[in-house]
This record gives sequence, structure tokens and C-alpha cells, in this order.
Amino acid sequence: MTGFARPEYRIAIVGGGVIGLWTAVHLARAGAGPIVVVDRGFPSGGASGRNGGGIRQQWETALTVRLARESVAAYRGFGREFGYNIWFRQGGYLFLAESDAEIASLDRVGQAVRAEGLPVRRLAPEQISDLVPALNVTGVRGAAFLHSDGTAYPFPVVWGLYEAARQAGVELAYGTNVTEIGRAAGRVAGLATSRGPLAASIVVNAAGGWSGDVARMAGVPVPNVASRHEILATEPLKPFLDPMVIRLRDGLYFSQTMRGEIVGGLGVHHPPGTRSGMPSSMEFLTRMARAITGLLPSTASLGILRAWSGFYDETPDGLPMLGEDPRLPGFFHANGLGGHGFMLAPAVSRRVARLVLGQPIESAAEFSVARFLGATLPAPAERLTFG
Amino acid sequence: MADSARRYWYRGRPRESRGPTGLAADVVQAGGPIVSRSIRYHRPRGVFCGEGFCSQCLVRVNGQPNVRSCRYVPADGDRVDTENAWPSVRTDVLGALDFLFPRGIDTVRGFRRPAFARPWYHRVVRRLSGYGQLANAAPTPAPPPLRHTTDVLVVGAGPAGRAVASTLAREGRQVALIDRRAVIAPPPGVLVIDRATAAFLPPPVEEAERPFRLAGIGDRGRGIDLNASTVVLAPGSYDASLWCAGSDRPGVVTAEGALSLRTARGEVPFHRALVVGGGARAAEMLDRFGPRIEGILAPGPISPEVVRRANELDVPMFPRTLLLGVEGRRRARSVRCRARGAASPPFSLEGDAVILAHLRIPHVPLFFQVGARMEWRSEGGAYFPALEPDLATSVPGLWACGEAAGFPDPIGSEASGEAVAERILGRSANLSALPPRVGTQSPGEMEGYYRELFAGPRPGGKWIACACEDVTVEELRTAHDRGFSGIEVVKRYTGLGTGLCQGRYCLPEALAYLSILEGRPIPEVGFITQRPPSEPTPLSAWASLSEEGT
Repeated sequence: MTGFARPEYRIAIVGGGVIGLWTAVHLARAGAGPIVVVDRGFPSGGASGRNGGGIRQQWETALTVRLARESVAAYRGFGREFGYNIWFRQGGYLFLAESDAEIASLDRVGQAVRAEGLPVRRLAPEQISDLVPALNVTGVRGAAFLHSDGTAYPFPVVWGLYEAARQAGVELAYGTNVTEIGRAAGRVAGLATSRGPLAASIVVNAAGGWSGDVARMAGVPVPNVASRHEILATEPLKPFLDPMVIRLRDGLYFSQTMRGEIVGGLGVHHPPGTRSGMPSSMEFLTRMARAITGLLPSTASLGILRAWSGFYDETPDGLPMLGEDPRLPGFFHANGLGGHGFMLAPAVSRRVARLVLGQPIESAAEFSVARFLGATLPAPAERLTFG
Repeated sequence: MADSARRYWYRGRPRESRGPTGLAADVVQAGGPIVSRSIRYHRPRGVFCGEGFCSQCLVRVNGQPNVRSCRYVPADGDRVDTENAWPSVRTDVLGALDFLFPRGIDTVRGFRRPAFARPWYHRVVRRLSGYGQLANAAPTPAPPPLRHTTDVLVVGAGPAGRAVASTLAREGRQVALIDRRAVIAPPPGVLVIDRATAAFLPPPVEEAERPFRLAGIGDRGRGIDLNASTVVLAPGSYDASLWCAGSDRPGVVTAEGALSLRTARGEVPFHRALVVGGGARAAEMLDRFGPRIEGILAPGPISPEVVRRANELDVPMFPRTLLLGVEGRRRARSVRCRARGAASPPFSLEGDAVILAHLRIPHVPLFFQVGARMEWRSEGGAYFPALEPDLATSVPGLWACGEAAGFPDPIGSEASGEAVAERILGRSANLSALPPRVGTQSPGEMEGYYRELFAGPRPGGKWIACACEDVTVEELRTAHDRGFSGIEVVKRYTGLGTGLCQGRYCLPEALAYLSILEGRPIPEVGFITQRPPSEPTPLSAWASLSEEGT
């Protein structure tokens, strides 16, 4: 395919994942077009189709709790709004703590979450066994549980947004590489792509794991780091596990999908490196197998069905980066969501759309790229960034 | 072992088993062709692939779920039960779903309203999915892993793999040979690891002394960890499936599935089988099951070899024939067909089994995992590794030979193995002695076949495309109609190819179908990245390979 439907757009969104598409839908419905979404791959090919589908409201900062709470409401209404069933099942999130420090962390999180009006519960080991009888709670000192957290299927979210964007008149250009970001008169002017150039007075960087590259291309470097995370799915079983389980010690997380597969991952450190092929690693498969069979001993004979990996797009303080870049007027950030882009997409894309339309948002300064442009980087604020 | 009977329990009744017969053959003799029920519509399912890949013969053994009965040899005292059916696999109450929803259940867009009913939908749909229940208890721990370092690692002990291994061993090279099956008469001087799955071969580590590392799962769930400087992949091929209405019915088996149904006494659960295919594999079926074969149906021409044998046995032949559907309520009873080409009237053939022997597909998951460049070879109807003339892959130190490299006949296969061994020894191989590889020029037989099949009227009822996840051909069409294209996207939209066989028995067909729908050649429809492991392998074996301290 060559060329675009028109030579000039008002808004070009780089990245056709959940954030990019949802932002495009908001903007198109607000009449901000013409809009084009440019993506190097295919719908659901990036992190939007590679995540574990978890949606939780238990966070360390009030900012993230609010984004998450708003996202839960949006995902509950997704089927009605977009016509696709995302099977959002609110089976809760269970955080397991094994040490004093981890218990203290649960207390801290519990305070932030309760302050936002969410009834998170603290559970003793025997209450954990009541909730998930199959769990081996040896060594577990306590847990936090919020019943309204849950899991959804990421794919239908992409389908629903894809169709809604198209119906709203957004042009979707998948399989298109952005090679250059054009500037004119001190502001952003358009894109050069593998499909040819286009002019746009606003460019939104929603490229997820590639957003650091896109920002560099625009001449406005950001401290985002793309880090590879791996995940696996097992053979499907009849339902036995309602909540998503997370262990604080090693970031082990898993849930049972609607199809019966156990899907989960583990915080295995990968040096930032090549992004081609997104391979899985022996280290992850063996460590994950050991972790999961330790916590769920009766899954030992269960087969690993497939494993894959994707990219977290991490900022130094663990908070998203949203809004216009003061160094390049017209260039907007909609990235830095770590491993939680799918989870927080509804709230984040609504805010980005408002910012693009010149409307105010709450806590704009905390999300602005300006916080990374000073002499020292801010300290981590949101540290509960796994799972 | 061959003669001592082992006593085990099947659904609470005592059974005896002899020899290395898989459990499936015995269970089918005892209880009929329905071995399990499907995941979504609880359709009756019987043994299909006979290789341990598909999802159709799962049983529960000693409280452990999802055991492939075709590959499991029962031990004394085993307790075997059926899964995912109530009260039994023959009469499963939930089988009513299949009749209540003749056009299928739309889980992509359905069940959204009313909002208050959603938790109930979730409960019901969750209960319907999944195969077995969680195990009653942890199984016996996996034996300690086998760790081994070798110079050359050969995957596959067919004619090609054996030729590589024995040539290299004769020249004093250190060789390990791994194969899924029992290796009879191992080549001298070669470390043979048999009855073991080569599960994961990551891309080589650059500049390491031994860049390759392969994880596998051996007998009794033993973890295997092999390091090698050079790897030769000769994993062979498997029998393809065939799309038609009712192709998931019990009684429709691959050639390997038919072979797996023979008990130690030589009994097979069919008397009037229809063999699909006109080549070497069909000839083999005539040799094995001669008097029990009722007809030969071939998507394309029938080879002189098959014609000669069929004539000897007085078996009627139907070359260039479309299979429109397999009929029979709970098992295959007859096949509806039509001659290809000019519009000709459909006809039916009776038969109690349909044996698919029309095409062999290369085993390619390891090539994908290791990052080898792949290419569509139309005459083979599949993706093959892209190879240099000397059979080197695009990954340094990785070679391919045998059927998976595109040498379908055993003699060419063996020659390709010898050539690779010569190259590894640093000599020039006589490449001109190699037969030509499966070609890329003419369109594959099956592409034309499906074009004709889908040009005709669509049959009523469900037409299952992906038997592991009960995805219908209609659902693929819906995805297409809604503007989703390419195999990667359609796979995610419908769930096709995401089940236990990981697309082995639906992707080649789906590629042909999407190529027709989208009006572009198969390489543009794309391919599915085959993710590790190459087949489902137990968590316990992976855990035993972990290098962390306990």
C-alpha cells in the first residue's frame, strides 16, 4: 500500500494500540479530525495484544488509583459502548506478602486505596486458603484483596476500538513505519513514513515500547526505557482460580482466563536490548514454572501451552507521561505506562484527548514531561509496577 | 514387557493392556469411538492425530488432567477417567449446546446484555471452557534433569537425522540425537535421547563456545538440557488435516491416528475405511489396512503405485474429488463428495472411518523459535525453512535436512542428511546428487482444492475449522467481513490456532481459506509465529531445569 487518503491531517497518532486508538476515538468524536493513526505492525501486535489482561485499582499513589478506578468503570461499560464482549470478570486481585517489609508495603497501598473509597481487605493466611483453596500459603504472612479488580480479554478491546475509530472517520495505517518527524517554524509539522509523507499540526506519541524512539526522532529525548517482559499460558483447565494472584517478593502474577488457561508472568530482569522477534527465554520458562508450581502444587503436570514477550514502557517515577512537550509545540506524549497501558488506557486516553483539545486535566503537572527536564530526575513514586 | 498384562481401571471398570499399545486404542475398543468432548459445544470427539498433538483424546489418569491417551501407555493399577462430560462422553448433557446453537455461540460480541446478567454469563461460560479439572494433588516429582553438552545435536531420528548422526559419529564427532519416539537400533557412538520432546531452542548466543541450548522433556516428565555447538534439525513431518463439514467427527483420523488405534492384538476399530490421498502415505495405508479399506478418495491425482495396490485389493478409487462433508450423528458413517472440475452431482460413500493421508506438513516450531528465516513453499503447502544450496539455514551453525527441509521421500531425505554431515565435517558435499526440494513455483494442490470447495454452496450446521477451540469457518468469515485481515489478526479475533495443537491442524487450511477471502497469495496473508514450547510440556519438568537455588 502506498500513500494516504489525504495529504494533510490535523492530528497524526503514532501507535495503533489501545492508547492510540482510544485517543483517536475520543478526538474524532469531538470533531477534531481529520485524524490518521500510523502503526508499524498490525492491530493487537504490540503490548495491547501481549499483556495479561489484568485491571487493578491497588496502587501506591492516589494518582494511579484514580486512573485505575476510572478505567474499571470504562471497561465495565465497554461492551455497551463498543459492541465487543471483553469478558471483564471482576474476580479480584490478591497480593501476597511474605515479609515485614512486604506487609508494610501492603499497608501503605491499602491506605492509598482506601483513601480513594475502595474497600480493600487484609487477609490472614487461612482466609487466603478459603479464597483460593489450591494455593500453597506456606511462607505467606498476609494478603490484600480488592474484589472489584479483575481481568479482561485485551483483543476485543482492540477490535472494538478499531471499528469505532474507523466508523468515526479515523484513517488507520497499519504496517507503516514512521521514519522522521517533521518540524516547521518551531513546531511539529508532520511525518515521513514508509508509505510516504503526511502533514499534521499535532502528533501524538502513543508508541508504547517504541515511544522513546519516536521522541528521539522528534528531537525531544525522554528518559523512558523499554524493557522486555515475558508471559506464558498453560493448557486450559476447568475454573478453580477466581482472583489474579500477585506475589510481592518476585513479581510473580497469574490468573485463570475465561478460557481456562493460567496466564502469568514474573519479574525476570532483561537488559534493555534488541527488540526484534521478541523471543522468550529459558530463564523465564524455568523460573516461572518453579514459581507457579511452588504456589499451586497441583498444576505440576499441566503443560505450558505457549510463551511470549512484550515491552513495558517505563518512566523513572513509574507514572505515565501525558501532554504536550514544551520543547516541541504540537508534539504530545501518551506513553510511559510501564506494564499497565492496557489497564489504564481508558483514563489515560481520555486525558490525552482533553489535552490535545486544549482542555485542562487534573494533576497535569504530575503527568507532564516537564518533570523529567530538570537537573535531577524525580524519585520513584509509583513502585507497585509489576503484574 | 510385551506379554505381561497390565491391569488398569477405565471409568471404574477393570481393563487389561498388553505391549506398548497406547491407551487410546484400548479405550476405543472398550468404549467406542467417542473418547472426549470438545471445549465449547461439547461435540463428540475421538482419537484424531495419534501423535499427542491434538486435543481430541484427552483423559484423566490417576487424578491428573489432560493426558493424551494416544501416547500414554497404561501402567498397572492406573485409574483412567473421561473429562469434560456428564454423565459420560457418549451421552453428555452439555452436548445439547451443539444442537441449541446450530450457528455457533458468538463469544466475541455476544453475552454483553443485559448488564445484570453478566456475572452469570461469566460463570456459565467459564464452566464450559477448559478440559479437565485441576489435579487432585501434585504428581510424583519429575526425575532429576538430564544435562549434557555435545558437539553436534541432531533433532529427529528419521532417515535424515540418523544419516547425519551416524556419519558424524563414524568420523569421531560427539553427537546427541533426540527423537519423540522410541529409537530402535540406535546408531553406534551416538548418545540417543528418545521418547523425548525437543521443546525449546532459543536463538544462539553469539560468541559462546556452544551457542545452542535446547530444552526438552523426556520419559516420565524428565527435564532435558542440552548444549551444542552445531544443531541439525531433521524433525520430519506429520499428516495434515482436511477441512470439510463434520471433519471433527469421531472416526475421522490422520494416517498416524489410524496406526495408533491398533491394539497389541492387531484389532482396529474400523472395517470399511475411506482413505483420503493418492500418494505414498495412502499406499502405506493400503498396505497396513488393505481388506478394511472401502475406497480411495484423492484431492488430486492418484499415483500409479496406489492404483496398482488398490486394483490388487479391488478398492474403488476417486481421483480429484472434493470431500464436502463427513456425515453421521455421533461418528463418521458416510462421506459426501463431488468430482472436481466441471459441475458434477454430489454422491455419498459409506465408511466407518476416514483416514487422512493426503499431505504431510513439516514440523517447523523449532525453526521459528531459533529465528531461522522461513518461506512458503507452495508445492509442499506449508512454510519451510529458507535454506542455502548446502542446506544451511539463515542461523549460523544451524542446518536442516529430511522432510522438514523439503525432501519428502526417504531416499532423498537420507541423502540430505549425508550432505549436511559432510558440510559439518568441513567437506564439500555432492549437492548435485540431492533430489530437488519441494518446489515454490506451481501452486499447491490443496490451494486449488479449497478454491473449488469454497466456491460451492456452504453446508448447513457448524463447520469446525479449529477443533481445539471449536472455532468455525463461519467465524473466520465474520472476522473478514468486519474488516480484519491477515492470519495473525484473524487468529487473535477468532481464537483459531490458539488451542492445544497450537495450529498444527488448522493453520495450513486457514491460510488457504484467508488467501481466497482476501484475494492475495498466502505469503501475504502471513504466518503465525510459533511460540515456545513446541508442544505443551509439563510445568514440573520446566521447574526441574531452573538453575535458581530452592
